[in-house]
Amino acid sequence: MSLLTARAAPPSVFERVRSIHWLLVLCIAAVAAIGCVLLYSAGGGNFKPWADKQIQRFAVGFVLMMATALLPLRVWFKLAIPIYLGSVALLVLVEFAGRHGKGAVRWVDLGFVSLQPSELVKVALVLALARYFQRLKFENIGKIWALLVPVGMAVIPAGLVLKQPDLGTATILLAIAGFVLFMAGVRVWKFAVVIAVAAAAAPFAYNKLHDYQKERLLTFLDPERDPLGSGYHIIQSKIAFGSGGLLGKGFLEGTQIRLNFLPEFHTDFVLSVLAEEFGLVGGIVLLAIYLAILFITLAIAFRARTQFARLVSGGMAATLFLHIVINMAMVMGALPVVGVPLPLVSYGGTAMFTLMIGFGLVLSAHIYRNERLGGKLLDDD
Amino acid sequence: MMFRIRELCRPLSPGAQCRPGQPRFEGPLGAAIETGRTRLLVLGGLFFLAFALVGGRLVDVTLLKPAADPKRNVARAAADPDAAREFFRGEIADAKGELLATNIVTWSLYADPKMILDPAATAARLVRLFPELDRKELAEKLKPSDKRFVWLRRHLTPKEYQEVIAEGLPGIGARKDRRRVYPHGSLGAHVVGYADIDNHGIAGVERQFDGRLKRGERIQLSLDLRVQHVLREELAAAVKRHHAIGAMGVILDVHTGETKALVSLPEFDPHEPGRASEEGRFNRVTLGTYEMGSTFKILNTAMALDSSVATLTKVYDARFPLKHGKFTINDYHGKGRALSVTEIFQFSSNIGSAKMAIEAGTPRQRAFMGRAGMLKPVSIELPEIGAPLYPRDWKPLNTITISYGHGISVTPLHLAAAVAGIVNDGKRAPVTLVKRDPKEPIPYVPVVNSKTSAEMRQLMRLVVEKGTGKRAEAPGYFVGGKTGTADKSAGKKGYRRNTRISSFVAAFPMNAPRYVVLVMIDEPKASADTPEATGGAVAAPVVREVVLKAAPLLGVLPAENTSELTDEKRPGQKAPAKPPAKPAAKPAPPAAGRLERAATE
Repeated sequence: MSLLTARAAPPSVFERVRSIHWLLVLCIAAVAAIGCVLLYSAGGGNFKPWADKQIQRFAVGFVLMMATALLPLRVWFKLAIPIYLGSVALLVLVEFAGRHGKGAVRWVDLGFVSLQPSELVKVALVLALARYFQRLKFENIGKIWALLVPVGMAVIPAGLVLKQPDLGTATILLAIAGFVLFMAGVRVWKFAVVIAVAAAAAPFAYNKLHDYQKERLLTFLDPERDPLGSGYHIIQSKIAFGSGGLLGKGFLEGTQIRLNFLPEFHTDFVLSVLAEEFGLVGGIVLLAIYLAILFITLAIAFRARTQFARLVSGGMAATLFLHIVINMAMVMGALPVVGVPLPLVSYGGTAMFTLMIGFGLVLSAHIYRNERLGGKLLDDD
Repeated sequence: MMFRIRELCRPLSPGAQCRPGQPRFEGPLGAAIETGRTRLLVLGGLFFLAFALVGGRLVDVTLLKPAADPKRNVARAAADPDAAREFFRGEIADAKGELLATNIVTWSLYADPKMILDPAATAARLVRLFPELDRKELAEKLKPSDKRFVWLRRHLTPKEYQEVIAEGLPGIGARKDRRRVYPHGSLGAHVVGYADIDNHGIAGVERQFDGRLKRGERIQLSLDLRVQHVLREELAAAVKRHHAIGAMGVILDVHTGETKALVSLPEFDPHEPGRASEEGRFNRVTLGTYEMGSTFKILNTAMALDSSVATLTKVYDARFPLKHGKFTINDYHGKGRALSVTEIFQFSSNIGSAKMAIEAGTPRQRAFMGRAGMLKPVSIELPEIGAPLYPRDWKPLNTITISYGHGISVTPLHLAAAVAGIVNDGKRAPVTLVKRDPKEPIPYVPVVNSKTSAEMRQLMRLVVEKGTGKRAEAPGYFVGGKTGTADKSAGKKGYRRNTRISSFVAAFPMNAPRYVVLVMIDEPKASADTPEATGGAVAAPVVREVVLKAAPLLGVLPAENTSELTDEKRPGQKAPAKPPAKPAAKPAPPAAGRLERAATE
């Protein structure tokens, strides 16, 4: 019974601040710092036009993260559904009042800030799914009907994002949901069935893709078939990696960037800046810090005593993991170019903010690792 | 219900951990936690594996398989503009391939303040080379700071570059830069626009196609630089001759909607847009909206004929001024008799035009203006586009004034495009600045039917043969058109009688129209030569000169057997010979132009 009577969360703000997982915060700051250095370099050795804004955004994001962390986890538990509905509503709003960027409608202008709701919805989805499984009795997890709601929760925003059209984000949303369902204890054979069906449907889906998406898939298979068009990014990115070598050319010395051979180097292809200027060593260091963040987040999930806290932390780990692996693989030509940013490093506001809020949730899950939601440790009503 | 949970491993404090793998919980809830934890471990393993793969790939691309040599890229950037699409902004060319905007490689001077030994001395030596630089400001820039890069001067000439390098100043360097160059200067500057020092498009085509140009794409315009030159020269001469404050002109291909020339005076030097005046940078043809005056009677008459309200021979009573409320509509020099539709057009009668419009009715007029494109901005490929101004609440009085071109403001391009549609068998081609692909079909908008188009061509020819536009006659080219003299609006105060825009819109050759020419002169002053600075006296002769010089360039040859009005034979018409600036031999037609005048008081 010791567990049920376990002490609730640290009461005072001071105690809460003390029990923040500072190692995780340090790792996050380190990655963001690397990002700013790279954007400084991408700006030709100037804070403008990217590095200065990125620093500001990280500062705002940091405040958001801390505020999120210090709020009791049960507040987020209560807010999970409103947040999810709100971000889906924003996605719908994009459909009608969205701003075009590079051929797709992805931004919505709220007057004071331009938001990319497809980023926001990633964290919202994790929250909503975690809440759902917290409320679901564990003996029901094997029932098919119990999966209808969570699958719907994932498919609706994924469908809206796909309409924008943004195949990359839609895929990531479904994958995040898959990971959360897996952690919640959904039977493994069900995943096997879904994957098998998806594989069988792939040829039909291919025909429904936009021309540019088909083009990217074909170019992924053979970048040289259009070296000045779709394959251009991948080829130039690979040249940047190759020219970096073991130790890189040195800070501000990358010619691929200086000569503008890489047009998107401040957003999705920022890793090639790192590789060209800091070489393999720089890349491995970044990978190591990322891995540390992932394992700390998983450890927090492991230690959490409520399904909600566990799934929120695990879900954030999955989100981060998917972005890192897909972005890196894409930049190194191991996956098609799908437009996925490198977390905390790529230039971009909404992605930075949502990720920081997500980590705030993880930190909160750590601070309140012993807290019960709604009065009971494991809700069973 | 409540499950009893027995924890097998009891940590002493909340932070302490049990050994992994050790069973800790019993019962269904225990199973939930056990499953969750097992799966987290599986996930951790998966993450590690994926990172190992990504790390392996990283080794692969950085060390084992250098895809290509970046030096090759550097060399290519310098040698082959095609390979360095990202390095050089795309060129802009005219229809014949003549360059309107291109790039040159320059050197730009920068400093690394950390490397500067003595800022004051360095500044002094730089000022000796570049006297226009401010010494104090320079020394401030060169002072040690955490900045590692400051621009000192962009785009050096080769000589300046040599001199700076020869100085051998530590911390001062030059970087390869590229600069936008407009080989033809201000000719076509309102169309081409300009880019800033960092090669971002700011105005005109440079801005409209900024994205494509930045990707290195070449933009080919429909403009013909030679025709553009002719139009600019003739308009500039007219501005000077009549002490006008400005002028605008446009030449459209009626079949394709392609803009062959577009001139707005005064103009500006795209290399130094900052030094140009506001008026100079203003594109009057596409951004400025004006009350067009009597040239609008082309639209009014076409509407009446097309809707079968009138026929060419139908007669309207134009003896007495038309009263509407407190307004009286006059003909400036009325004929004092009943006029046929043909005569109304020929002598530009306001009373007759108004009566035609009243008979047709407001809804019909409004619908026609919509078809003619007068109620929407012209969709030309420029960011500087003016929206028409017209009454939201279209009252009978508006119907009357609009019939002779007042109470509605449109851009000159609007009028030219509509007239092109009317003479082109009634089919209006969307106006464009970009050279059309001959294979692509043109989405024509029907304005009037074939019969009306043919009748309008006759009427317009008649104006030049026997009406207010005699001075536009260019022998052999069957010019037809319509004069217009609009008093300039002075806002709420009504109209200023002595400031006017004199215009002439023409098409040629009238038997099978190929091009529309619109000429407008802003505030021409009356003089001994032209006691009345009307469209017929001021703008029509400009059209004549433009047609004579530009038609051969546009591939229109003069007919051997010219119209009966022509009494002189012009030798060497195929070459753009230099005719006298003024049509001196021709006596001024007595009442030309004076018959028309918008009087809305």
